[in-house]
Amino acid sequence: MIVAIAVALLIVAYLMAISAKDLIRLLISLELMFSAVFLAILPLFSISATMAFAILLVAIFTSSAELLVLITAIVITDKMRKGVEVEKVSVGGDIF
Amino acid sequence: MDLQTLLISTLGALAVISAIGAWLTRDNFYSALYMSVAMIFVAGIYAVFNLQPAVVLITLVFVGAVGIVTIAVAATFRAKTARKINLFWTLPILVVLAIVAYAYSEARKIPISSTGLEFVGDYFLLIVFLISMMVLVMLSAIKILRRVGL
Repeated sequence: MIVAIAVALLIVAYLMAISAKDLIRLLISLELMFSAVFLAILPLFSISATMAFAILLVAIFTSSAELLVLITAIVITDKMRKGVEVEKVSVGGDIF
Repeated sequence: MDLQTLLISTLGALAVISAIGAWLTRDNFYSALYMSVAMIFVAGIYAVFNLQPAVVLITLVFVGAVGIVTIAVAATFRAKTARKINLFWTLPILVVLAIVAYAYSEARKIPISSTGLEFVGDYFLLIVFLISMMVLVMLSAIKILRRVGL
């Protein structure tokens, strides 16, 4: 059941990322994906609690580092492109 | 269905509903709030299994730091007009704060014990490395922001 909840959270986060119109919404969807990852780690505690806790620790700090990097990117994008809309980001994907 | 299964399904359903709320709301600020609520429900599922260190970490770092920073960023890029503070409410707020502070100071003090914090010793080196990584990322972010001219 926990894996089902994690998958449901992940699907909602993917839908949110696909329909995001600005970078803030994209950031929020990524954080939701991390919460789905945390739920997916939970069954691992029944196999090896030590390893599961270490993975959880790494995941939490990874999400924090990702947040810092993305906030920096959002601030720079806002400064250089005068806005945080997804359309203004022309690097990192197909634009034509 | 036993109590644990019922609790997990309820918390899971609430987490998914909060995530859907974060997706469907038009305001970034409320979206970030819904996201934080979903994270708290995820921490609640950990609490059902009595994984106290994990609950503390998720609540403090993931909800407390990441969630609040996301809410602050969403509020910054959402804000259009500054809200005026009515000075009329200052006095009642001060009175209520004084009453709460007095009640708290008179409350029964519970001694603090280190029970349940054994995981800090096991993962101390990992935590030190991860905090070092966070500091490096923050320094890099500051350097990039200075280069851009903010």
